[in-house]
Amino acid sequence: MRNTLILGLFLVLAAPLFAAEPFDIITNTTDHIFADIKTNRAVYEANPEKLEGLVNQTLMPIFDEIYAARLILGRQGRGVSEDKILEFATAMRELLVNRYAKGMLELSGLSKPEVLPMRGKNTDKLTRVRTRVDLGEGKWAPVDYSFRKTEQGWKVFDMTAEGISYILTYRNQIGPMVKSDGLDTVIEKLRSGNIHLKNE
Amino acid sequence: MEITLKNNPFINQAIVVLTVLLLSACASKQPLSAPEIDPWEPMNRSIFKFNAGFDKVLYRPISSGYDKLMPDPIQEVVGNMLDNLAYPGTIINLLLQGRLKDAWTGTKRFVINSTIGIFGALDVASSAEIPLHDEDFGQTLAVWGWNESRYLMLPIFGPSTIRDAGGRLGNTYVEPVSYLAGQKSIWTPWVLEKAHVRIRLMEQESLIKDSNDPYILVRDVWLQNREFNIYNGDPPPPDYEALLEE
Repeated sequence: MRNTLILGLFLVLAAPLFAAEPFDIITNTTDHIFADIKTNRAVYEANPEKLEGLVNQTLMPIFDEIYAARLILGRQGRGVSEDKILEFATAMRELLVNRYAKGMLELSGLSKPEVLPMRGKNTDKLTRVRTRVDLGEGKWAPVDYSFRKTEQGWKVFDMTAEGISYILTYRNQIGPMVKSDGLDTVIEKLRSGNIHLKNE
Repeated sequence: MEITLKNNPFINQAIVVLTVLLLSACASKQPLSAPEIDPWEPMNRSIFKFNAGFDKVLYRPISSGYDKLMPDPIQEVVGNMLDNLAYPGTIINLLLQGRLKDAWTGTKRFVINSTIGIFGALDVASSAEIPLHDEDFGQTLAVWGWNESRYLMLPIFGPSTIRDAGGRLGNTYVEPVSYLAGQKSIWTPWVLEKAHVRIRLMEQESLIKDSNDPYILVRDVWLQNREFNIYNGDPPPPDYEALLEE
């Protein structure tokens, strides 16, 4: 009992050390997901929602969904209640997890993403981790993760593939919808789209 | 360079990853934004519409026919040969940008693929981990200081900017596939190249079609990817904090 307690305490204390820096966070996360898919590929192919569960569990502690949601909404998010923002953020996150899981399943037959050394401008508040994803046949796709420092440590809030930003691209698609149809309708659409994709 | 296999944003298979990120399936609505980068949005939208029609009646059917007729291995060989044939354009633009070392690597790539790779049929250079660069005259103009340029939808050629439309003209002198078409009226490689571009776009069709605003989606994706290429994969990050207020 006592040993378990000490071990537990050690883990709690050590956890932030293990995954404190953005570079390590991405390395650990992609390693973890890739290894898991490798072992359980058949299970995930049969039950994609299980993979979504894994992705959700692994990515969500490091993903700043509220900040991402606020960036996507921009001015449209002003005056909106915290609860509503959270609702929107959750719907967006579910969609992202769904897409991410699908992509991972497609790509994970290949070698795992390579996390590149940091370069470019990093500040103590904002930084970017660059990776390259194996597409087979000697081709690689650059995928970058943007991090910001929060009170809970470093968190991802944007991803870019070939320079195309998740935030910027969604923002310009969703902003006009929110303006014309209202946030509730958009949340509804996101949810139903998600359900639809799950049933595919 | 014309819309080559290398520099078209859709062409790179990285788009598979993009698919992961993008939203589909939302009802169509008129957009509102007309940012400074796209002051000619109404005209561009008309051309975009025209291009969609051109695609429907001619571009897509021809490309899809070619795709069905040609077995995949042959397509791969043709694609490699086209890439290789266009590569001197990249080398010259690397030189114009003062990147001598990269130009040298590029020359090695071209020579290896043209010889050991049998006229470019096999991309042995990639297997040997010789890096693949992607440069064209539009990018060179950007490196020379023409950073910001207005978005311009070209009939048939698709997304561009004023700068890159000018760059296309330059490409007909430095990039073999464009040179053969533009200066020598030898169109076969050019047409094949366009078919290859279109085939790889097929996967993204529904993504674009089902988006809230296909015009904006194509514009966003193209402009972001263009900037990414101009900065050789390391563009300055967006001003995120400002997005909160806009």
